[in-house]
Amino acid sequence: MRLQMLLVTAALMPFGWQSLAAGGRPAEDYVHVPMPPGVQVINTELEGNVFADASGHTLYDWPLKPMRVGEAGDPANKSNCTNQVLREEGGHMSPYPPGLLLPDLDTRPSCTQMWPPMLADKDAKPVGDWTIVVRDDGIRQWAYAQQPLYTFKYDRLPGDTIGGTKRDMKPGVSARPAVRNPVGPPPNTPTGFDVLSTVNGRLLVGANTALRPAIYTYDKDTATKSACTGEDCLRQWKPVLAPELARPTSKEWSLVERSPGVRQWAFRGKPLYTHIADMPFRGHGMSLDGSDTPGWRAVYTQTTPEIPSELKRQATIGGDTLADARGRTIYLYFCQDDANDQLNCDHPETSQAIRLALCGAGDPARCLRRFPLVLASVGAQSTSRAWNVREIDPMTGRFAAPGAKGAVRVWTYRDRPLYTFDGDPPPKIGDREPGDVEADGLGEWHGQRDGYTAFWLRDDFYGRNN
Amino acid sequence: MTRTSKLVLRTLTAGAVLAAAATSAPSSTRAADAIPQLRNGSIGYIITNLHWAGYKTPDAKAECPDGKVNPWGPREQFKVMYPDDGKRTVMDTHFAFEISSWYPDAETPDRFPFYEAKGKYSTGLNLDGKVGPNDFTSPDGEPGIDNQLFRTIGCVENYRPPEGTTTFYADKAIMEERYNRMLIELTGVDSLENDNDVTVTMYRGLDELVADATGERYVSGTTMRVDARWGKKFVQTFKGKIVGGALITEPVAFGQIPWSSFSLPTVQKFHDMRFQLRLRPDSAVGYIGGYVDVETWYWQTMKSESTHHQSNGQTTLNSLYKVLRKNADAYPDPATGRNTAISGSLEAKFVQAFIVHPPTDNKVASAQVTAAPSQERRER
Repeated sequence: MRLQMLLVTAALMPFGWQSLAAGGRPAEDYVHVPMPPGVQVINTELEGNVFADASGHTLYDWPLKPMRVGEAGDPANKSNCTNQVLREEGGHMSPYPPGLLLPDLDTRPSCTQMWPPMLADKDAKPVGDWTIVVRDDGIRQWAYAQQPLYTFKYDRLPGDTIGGTKRDMKPGVSARPAVRNPVGPPPNTPTGFDVLSTVNGRLLVGANTALRPAIYTYDKDTATKSACTGEDCLRQWKPVLAPELARPTSKEWSLVERSPGVRQWAFRGKPLYTHIADMPFRGHGMSLDGSDTPGWRAVYTQTTPEIPSELKRQATIGGDTLADARGRTIYLYFCQDDANDQLNCDHPETSQAIRLALCGAGDPARCLRRFPLVLASVGAQSTSRAWNVREIDPMTGRFAAPGAKGAVRVWTYRDRPLYTFDGDPPPKIGDREPGDVEADGLGEWHGQRDGYTAFWLRDDFYGRNN
Repeated sequence: MTRTSKLVLRTLTAGAVLAAAATSAPSSTRAADAIPQLRNGSIGYIITNLHWAGYKTPDAKAECPDGKVNPWGPREQFKVMYPDDGKRTVMDTHFAFEISSWYPDAETPDRFPFYEAKGKYSTGLNLDGKVGPNDFTSPDGEPGIDNQLFRTIGCVENYRPPEGTTTFYADKAIMEERYNRMLIELTGVDSLENDNDVTVTMYRGLDELVADATGERYVSGTTMRVDARWGKKFVQTFKGKIVGGALITEPVAFGQIPWSSFSLPTVQKFHDMRFQLRLRPDSAVGYIGGYVDVETWYWQTMKSESTHHQSNGQTTLNSLYKVLRKNADAYPDPATGRNTAISGSLEAKFVQAFIVHPPTDNKVASAQVTAAPSQERRER
């Protein structure tokens, strides 16, 4: 109950120039776009502001995506998510052919059972970017920006975003499945800025170039004056200058005059900069090198909940990951199957067949030895909507009723259990010492299609935390 | 001069490193003070190309059986193993095949033939100082080249440059990523031609490579920051000497380098790791060699390259693993007696760079490195 009270996430309460999200953290401001009756905006822990239906269920789209073979998802103004229970792989994932029978067919849902369409009643009228598409079965469905909208079967409470993320999961990479994304109003930023979802929060970035550099503030600055004026500072930091006609879009934004006629953008009372040594990630954001300089901070319009105290941040050869108390890297499992409807297979309520094949060659006991679940300590409680303690049947991988025989209490993130990687007995591969990330990318298509990924908190090499 | 040094020097001066340098070496010896890149006895280099050493002819006749490369890739094997009967299930076919990659089996004989390199020649290094029956001869006539990794992958199209996709992606990873930005810094250098005591320290760098206007050739003289935060495991020190413009380091017991393909942070681990490089003021070319840890090599290959990419060059991982284990030629497991490492070398190209250490830490501490073990320990 306490958690639920904390998570009445729509509470965008004015406080000075800021709104507050759950836990008292600043919430991202957004552009108030026209919406159909019953649709609301909810500020979520992980994804910022999202549209939700009248019951508070987050709305997702499913954009058409070129796959390695063919394509999947919804084209503009058409839903490809049907009531039919698909029985075969679509053959999208080279080198395997189409037509192979899917696992667990007796319990496999249809696309609309897992992703219920957001239906429009017969009197509904388009408003703003909201339109109505007519499904193949004749039923009317809401669309936003021409993309049909859905809820997710396993989102339980308002503000849940279990079904997907706005994080840039390499959308151009054909190895990735066609994923569902939470949809929301645009962030209220001046032209030239954008906001990226990351594991750590909603990161403010520049939008004037394809590089999308991270934006920083300097502790020594004030709301009206930049302290970064000398050659040494300006050699490393580039003030984000505002065009002559630029105007703040809200009270969060202001302009600082560096010198006559030269104005610098400021956000929440701090002038903004980019860092010249930040590195691009091939078109999907930049590294955060600048945040390593004392006194300089990357800007988040809102941050994600703190990680549970039983877990910790740890340096590895590839960046910082989440680790358990013993320093073992923590992994998440990701999976969408290769049927045309690209259904999730990484949630405990979905088929576990593919995960069991990967983690233990189909043997659940071997799975548990190779990828132990991250157990919650006695008395540990859920700390946020994202971080939960749940009971799992370790042999099936499914959620268990509280107190069920054989069930174990584990940490979950977005409903997905956390794992470590012990591997097989030596000399085979496993995480043998703190900082090892041997299972990162284990799975099909480097783990991008189905597989394990280290829980990256800071990845300045490949940008996988954003 | 130690026995090992004499042997590696012989290999180096008569081997491919010298050949590679022959077309590019400076025409005359230059004193240290005449080389602007050499500052305070120190010069740095940054990796630009890194491929497994081997020998390839256009028609494959010199190195592959009857001039044929391995034809049994994933697509070909899958088609034979799982004929379309209209009832094929995902788990019994697609994932059964994937499981064979995730859980490779060295014991069961392969159903499909695997073409190993059978020729006389290979590039690489003479790691043990001997000339054995399984050794190759370098293209310029140096015998004793230890390269059983080439024997394993030399007739697999994926690994045959320049068309092999592994070559392409290795170059792409170095060009586009920085996880694998290997730097070496030579210190205590009096001369790039002859110096009997230099120290080589390996780091990971943080900055982008800079290419010339063609986009294909990297320029020297750039500044490279050392990654003192996440790169500590890659800081390793080697003792060596420069003879006739060639750097020869003593092997260290164990070394590892950052290895990236398809944006995954992996490593390559070597027993008896050493460098042999022809040095120039603006570049260095040669080998990084040793006995490659088999399980690590396989694991990074399996993780990094999907079955799709393996299919591009007819690499079926379960088949490859069997041969890899069979050809492993060093570091037997004390319990099983099976070798755990395979001889191999990386052909490496560097350009000179100015290495910048963190301001708060003049030199990042080197990982503990010990001398290579005795000959007996690494042999079966």
